[in-house]
Amino acid sequence: MTYATPTIAAITAAIAVPSLVILYFLKLRRRSVEISSTLLWRKAVQDLQANAPFQRLRKNILLLLQLLALAAALFAIAQPQKKVGEATSTRHVIMIDRSASMGTKDGGGGKTRLEAAKKTAIDQVDSLDEGDIFGAAAHEAMVIAFDSTAEVVQRFTTDKAKLRSAIESIQQTDAPGSIKEAFQLAQAHRPKVSATPTDTPPDSSADTSADGPQDEPPASILAGPPQTFHLYTDGRISDLDTFLPASQDSVVYHTTGDPDSADVGITGLRAERAYDHPEHLTIFVGLQNTFPTQVTPDVELSLDGAPSAIRSATIAAPTARTGIVQSNDSADQVQSVVRAEPGKGGVVFELDMPRGSIATVRLRGQPDPFPTDDQGELVIPPASQTSVAVVTKGNLFLAEALAGLPLAELDTLTPDEFRAQVDSGQAEKYDVVVLDGMLPPNTPEGRALAPGRWLILGAIPGSPEGLVDKGEGGYGQFVDWRRDHPVLQGLTLDPVRIGDARQIEIPDTSAARSLAETQFGPGIVEFVTAEARAIGVLFDVADSNWPFDVSFVVFLASAIDYLDAATASDAGRLAVRPGEILTERLPLGATDASLEDPDGDRVPLAPAADGRISWGPVRRTGLLTLRWNGETGPADTVQDGKATRFVASNLLDPYESDIAPEDSVALASQIVAAASQKETAIRHYWRWLLLAALAVIMLEWYIYNRKVQI
Amino acid sequence: MLRTPNPTRPASMDELLDSALIARLSRLDVTSRKVFSGKLKGERRSKKRGESVEFADHRPYVVGDDLRHIDWNIFGRLDRLFLKLFLEEEDLSLHIVIDASESADCGQPNKFFYAQQFAMALGYIGLINLNRVAITAIGGYIDTGKESPDEPRPSGSGPDSPPALDTIRDLRGRRRTQDLARFLCSLRPAGSTDFRDQAKRIALARRGKGVMVVVSDFFMKEGYEDGLRLLVGRGYDLFALQCLSPQEVEPDIGGDLKLVDVEDGDRAEVTISAPLLKRYKQNLAAYCGGLRDFCARREITALTVRTDTPVDVLLLDYLRRRGLVR
Repeated sequence: MTYATPTIAAITAAIAVPSLVILYFLKLRRRSVEISSTLLWRKAVQDLQANAPFQRLRKNILLLLQLLALAAALFAIAQPQKKVGEATSTRHVIMIDRSASMGTKDGGGGKTRLEAAKKTAIDQVDSLDEGDIFGAAAHEAMVIAFDSTAEVVQRFTTDKAKLRSAIESIQQTDAPGSIKEAFQLAQAHRPKVSATPTDTPPDSSADTSADGPQDEPPASILAGPPQTFHLYTDGRISDLDTFLPASQDSVVYHTTGDPDSADVGITGLRAERAYDHPEHLTIFVGLQNTFPTQVTPDVELSLDGAPSAIRSATIAAPTARTGIVQSNDSADQVQSVVRAEPGKGGVVFELDMPRGSIATVRLRGQPDPFPTDDQGELVIPPASQTSVAVVTKGNLFLAEALAGLPLAELDTLTPDEFRAQVDSGQAEKYDVVVLDGMLPPNTPEGRALAPGRWLILGAIPGSPEGLVDKGEGGYGQFVDWRRDHPVLQGLTLDPVRIGDARQIEIPDTSAARSLAETQFGPGIVEFVTAEARAIGVLFDVADSNWPFDVSFVVFLASAIDYLDAATASDAGRLAVRPGEILTERLPLGATDASLEDPDGDRVPLAPAADGRISWGPVRRTGLLTLRWNGETGPADTVQDGKATRFVASNLLDPYESDIAPEDSVALASQIVAAASQKETAIRHYWRWLLLAALAVIMLEWYIYNRKVQI
Repeated sequence: MLRTPNPTRPASMDELLDSALIARLSRLDVTSRKVFSGKLKGERRSKKRGESVEFADHRPYVVGDDLRHIDWNIFGRLDRLFLKLFLEEEDLSLHIVIDASESADCGQPNKFFYAQQFAMALGYIGLINLNRVAITAIGGYIDTGKESPDEPRPSGSGPDSPPALDTIRDLRGRRRTQDLARFLCSLRPAGSTDFRDQAKRIALARRGKGVMVVVSDFFMKEGYEDGLRLLVGRGYDLFALQCLSPQEVEPDIGGDLKLVDVEDGDRAEVTISAPLLKRYKQNLAAYCGGLRDFCARREITALTVRTDTPVDVLLLDYLRRRGLVR
């Protein structure tokens, strides 16, 4: 216990205490009354004094009470304070993790970790230094809530009520935890410190010039005034190494949750239709166990709400794993971190189901405190095979290559036949049209492509939405391509030699983007417009050796697969992870669109001109339901007269499902051990003392009144 | 309890007793549980055999007896001489001692005025029944209306003189009523009560025996015990009448007070509180109870009376029941 202003209090005491005593003696002027005899009165007074303990005290009880009140007030002026923690700065950044694992109900008393963390954070806010009445600055704090995204719930303020209500307002989400954005937000709210040479210590600038690039200011200047980061989390954050506090900052890790908490959860969920038998559906369920023993939960599969199958899964016990981490406190100090590697397991459901469905997978028979990952949803589109039209004047390679693909229909048409079908409307039955050496017919003026899904070989759509052909480039080959694009995934284009590569340029106004580059420019491009999607091969494949390479067939299959989204056998397309933004493209002309989130709240949506909607970030797991008036897409259904599309939101995060809280967090620059709950700043007591003084004065008044009353 | 601001000072008997009360008192007489010998033949039976008309007993004749008292009827029947004994009738000595110290001049109604009224009423009863009446005032002085206070007084009484006895004695018969009233009206309370000394002087000055009534508040710091013991030791049939003002029984003061004793100037600083008042009342009750116990052990009849009790109620009810009057 220390005193902020003991001198002032001492001076005040030296004046006030004698004054009070003098005033007390001056105060009591007794009225003189003549009575017949003092005999009985004196006896009564003596009796009272003899019977009551502490007579001297009682005699002057009012004086004593006044002295007590004065003492309380004097102590309040001295401003007693107690340092109950390591407070190195006056600025506090309270970062509260609201990610999925914080919903684990092991926070004590049936509370979730987030609720426990909020309570601890409010205690922290309550203990913040409020400054003293003689001018010392109050501590200020800001509140950031984060999951995979982050938001500032409260900017820097000294208003504790605001901070408390901000902390109270933080809601649980099912998103995985990521601290990067939260840290960036916190840094963005630092006051900017202007770097003038006089402000910078000489050694600091010397270090900077020696260690870092000249144009980067020293870290301490970037960092601004020192801050204390309060991390309220269970430590289940995958990117803690992006958290880089400045050297003058301190980090306090307030852990929450029961270290013995264990969980069985779904960490993987995927449905696949067999490529050749689309009605044959396989659902893979990945499971994870952090209980210390092997567990055998039941996995229940429901289709459209009706239980369909139950499998018993056996998941092994976690295996111990030891990691060595170097602590930042001392270069020599090495810390060993032991964390069990969760046991993995899985269940596979195989069934024949040509129709589309909502599949729900639940874990049963193994209760755990983290229910979020005990259930997963899958939106399974109906099985269908692609109808493809090949419009060619005669291309043997193309016909041969496409013939080997498992397609529902493959029609080979001449350009004239195709134009006739387009005019008559029959061409709409084709999911994908492969155009050999021609552009889509009936393309509107100013647009690159007519509506539809096109695989264009050896033709170049013109600008402004298309491309600029600058003439022949000559003999060429692919120098770079996007290996992560679904169309080019797993392909090797090195052997491909092009006889007549074109010099192509993509203007800014174009809807195209390059997928593969020759030395003369784009060789393969993708067009995405409001109504059309196309893959364009910008050279004549017949004038290259590509048809002789196996990659050509794979490219054709991938391109048709990619263009025909409805045939996508992977249900992952209609899935989103909590924390991500949901982006879907509704059919053109969709009106009155709305989205119902897993909690049942309905949000109206306004589709963009190309039918694209976006909403989010998605907070909860479960089914998101999009509804609109208008046409339906291939995977959509009609419910209550409205087109409906389901999107599944599942956690599916092994790291998040491993719910045992970390007892230390490894940041980029240091390892921070969990702080004790009382790791707080300075506690002031002067308000309580003033209240006590007030109470004593009221008591004194009561006793005085009671004394003079008959 | 407080000193009476403007106490009533009666100037004549009419102010002490009204005619209605006088008429009711005329039917009363003073009695004594003991029968005492008097000096004069009175209207009272004596223990002694005497010459009244009331037959008491017979006894054998011995030489020297008055032949007039021989019962000749018995002589005729038994042929032996027997003497007829008759009860002697005597007068009764009634001595009223009133407390005229300054402490008596307090309360509302005033205690001293009440004592004056009582003494007048009882004295009147005594006079009309041919009893010998004496009144002694303890403390106080006689205001003659002529003397200036600073002149020396033969009796030694006065406001500035030490406590003395002011006594009027040997009053007998209705015609002395005015003397009694004059004496009472001229009394002024002053000084303090040295009860023991005063009682000793009364006891020594007393001739014969009789009924004595002491009217006081008995708030005597030196104690009332010795004084009462001296008085009762002389064989008086003693009555102790404790007069308390209503304010002494139920104090109506409050606040932080400096209580000043009117007799000795003693100061007691008190803060009147509920516990203090409670304790005061307990002490008062204990004090009165102690007086009654003391008196009961010594065959003294004690009675505590509030000064707001009418004098006629006191005489006709309380004291009649206790046998002082009948």
